Amino acid sequence: MSSETKDSRLHSSAPAACGPPLSDVARFSLSIGRLFMEFGESARMIHEEILAMAHCLGCDSAEVYCQHAAIIVTLRRGQEFCVQMGKVGEHGVNLRGSEVVKNIVRRVSEGDLACSVGQAQLDNIQRAIPSYPVWLVCLCTGLACSAFGRLLGADWLSFFPVLVASGVGQWIRRALLVRKRNPFITTGIVSFVSAYLAGFGSRLLGSSHLEIATVSAVLLLVPGVPVLNVQTDVIEGKPNLAAARGLRVMYILLFMTLGLVAAQRLILQGI
Amino acid sequence: MNSFWIHIIHQAIFGGIAAAGFGILFNCPPRIIFYCISSGAVALAIRTACQSANLNLPESAFFAALAVATAERLLQRFQQTRGSIVALVGCIPMVPGSMAAKGLTNLFALLQAHPGEEIAAATNGMRNLLEVTLTLAAIGTALAIPQSIYPEKEASVKTKTLP
Repeated sequence: MSSETKDSRLHSSAPAACGPPLSDVARFSLSIGRLFMEFGESARMIHEEILAMAHCLGCDSAEVYCQHAAIIVTLRRGQEFCVQMGKVGEHGVNLRGSEVVKNIVRRVSEGDLACSVGQAQLDNIQRAIPSYPVWLVCLCTGLACSAFGRLLGADWLSFFPVLVASGVGQWIRRALLVRKRNPFITTGIVSFVSAYLAGFGSRLLGSSHLEIATVSAVLLLVPGVPVLNVQTDVIEGKPNLAAARGLRVMYILLFMTLGLVAAQRLILQGI
Repeated sequence: MNSFWIHIIHQAIFGGIAAAGFGILFNCPPRIIFYCISSGAVALAIRTACQSANLNLPESAFFAALAVATAERLLQRFQQTRGSIVALVGCIPMVPGSMAAKGLTNLFALLQAHPGEEIAAATNGMRNLLEVTLTLAAIGTALAIPQSIYPEKEASVKTKTLP
């Protein structure tokens, strides 16, 4: 964490009457913002949480500037001020992760937890976030995609192949992302494998909706929450962040479509 | 029961399953998975009903998202800082991912179109992508409306100590 955080300037004319050092509060703010961004929160929520926490820790003012790959925080307390910048990692969606971060922030704000202890908890947060077993996530993702298939008008014969294909796709996606592979390449690979398996299985079972089956199997890759965050950021006056998120969404959709088209070429050949 | 209601129930059931699946994928807390299922089912039922009443996809998605976001906001005494998780997850099955893929596929098809077919391929692709954009805008706007109109925040130590 410390290597990712860069102190731009730190002016200190007098020690604060109370509360943790301003640089610690700034570092804590950056950690909160970084984690919220990585867990798929909107910029408004990040601003509100950091501002409220900074005020509770004695800051007179706090400014937060969220970008796709970095966050800048400026804090003032009396004659002191501190500007820090931190990098943001890979964006994803983790609602229980957000809850854990929020809980830590609340306890620090209310004085139940020291800022340094809160920082230590944020540094080791991956261990504190409860998560579902991998098999359950894969199964539920498969079920969701099969349900999408039904919503799009696919027949029952393609239900099981789509379920299996999407479950396998989710497992591959998780395996590649854990190994820090490029998210766009990962999207293309998962799209191709899922669509091919769904189409092949549906064809074996005699389904007449191969095209819908292949499309349904890749819908796990559609970045639904980021797309809605783009909307929120635009409406709430954060066009830069929205543009960056939107561009990323477009590329994910592009790679997803490339994988899908390649699989459909193989599956739908001769039909 | 006529085919209209069977279709609505079918869409609601599979909308609920899709919302639950995505809730698990997004690591949603287990205590709200049931609400996510309900939210997805209600959203898809309303969208299907609106489409049956000859509204187009963006309009139908708007009313469905507005309904679940309003219901969630009314059921909460104070607005959660996170906004509306349940409404958000419930609206995920309405994100037109398949149409986005279809639009891009149509644009790819433009590269291989025979003379005379280019206009049809381009029109189909652009129409799909326009519908995707409008639907996403409709869902995003509908989710934001209840929070903007009635933004009562949770009373906590944080707000008490604000200057």
